[in-house]
Amino acid sequence: MRTLVIIPAYNEQENIVNTVHDVEKHCPKVDYVVINDCSRDDTEKILREHDMNYISLPCNLGIGGGVQTGYRYANEHGYDIAIQFDGDGQHDARYLNALIDSIASNSADIAIGSRFIRKQGFQSTGFRRFGIGFLSGLIRLLCGVNVSDVTSGMRAVNKRFIGEYAKTYAQDYPEPEAIIYAAVHGAKIVEVPVEMRERQGGTSSINPLRSVYYMIKVSIAMVLARFSS
Amino acid sequence: MLSPSLRLAILFALVIYFIILVILLKKHKLALRYTLLWIASGLVMLVLSIFPQLLNTVTNILGIEVQSNALFAILFFCILMILMSITVVISKQNENIKKLTQYTATLEKRIRDMEDDS
Repeated sequence: MRTLVIIPAYNEQENIVNTVHDVEKHCPKVDYVVINDCSRDDTEKILREHDMNYISLPCNLGIGGGVQTGYRYANEHGYDIAIQFDGDGQHDARYLNALIDSIASNSADIAIGSRFIRKQGFQSTGFRRFGIGFLSGLIRLLCGVNVSDVTSGMRAVNKRFIGEYAKTYAQDYPEPEAIIYAAVHGAKIVEVPVEMRERQGGTSSINPLRSVYYMIKVSIAMVLARFSS
Repeated sequence: MLSPSLRLAILFALVIYFIILVILLKKHKLALRYTLLWIASGLVMLVLSIFPQLLNTVTNILGIEVQSNALFAILFFCILMILMSITVVISKQNENIKKLTQYTATLEKRIRDMEDDS
């Protein structure tokens, strides 16, 4: 099974080297590609100097467009499994193999790394957890799928959904919407317990002030995604 | 009823409007397929200012008291439709830009890989 780890990175000069080394250390047989989403800092320079495998977008597309570039790359190169893995150091590469296993054993089309199953590691702030709980309930209501960590950007996808996501992937706040899209297209979705860390450096792309706006927007997007396909 | 002077002013404005539209089209600064709504709105205004009695139907049905308000309501609706069509165009362009960005980035990587091999 050929596996590709997709690592989206935007202004991650402090974290990207550690992230890639972490992946290489725990999954030496797995390929990776960093998607540099037009970072304004030295991310691209660092990627070049370390001779890492990367794609550099000429315009900033946001997380959705960046991750989709990775899926297109995986699709073009005929990978069997693709895994999203954030470039900001929040994800722990020790759990990559668990995600790979749940796809490789054919027990799921999509495996999502969830912080909330064993409740270990960084659990996010209370306010954000409330939001995640709300979105989780909305997904259950819309598609009957149980996913506790709906905003988790650590997820593995099989060949069929590599193709689907290469064609269509939500753009603005894509994680919850991508779950709905997959569920609507008949994916079997499982959650795999993982631990996450707090950001290692740099700043998160989600500003707390925008959270309420985010909730409204993402809820509308999810309802639309449910009924448009 | 619309006052004669208002009708005259609207007609005059519409003449200027259509002249500008034709000039832009001739200079290829406007693509025809995006101007159909503009032309249609202009024609609606033209018909209504020449035959203001048509507005009576609208005012009676909607219970609008002043005829000119019905005219503005129709104009407002035309503008909303035009704005919406513009948003559609922008969304389409966004999608195209995204695809192009992803495609050029993938090509750039392939060139880089080929240069490294040689």
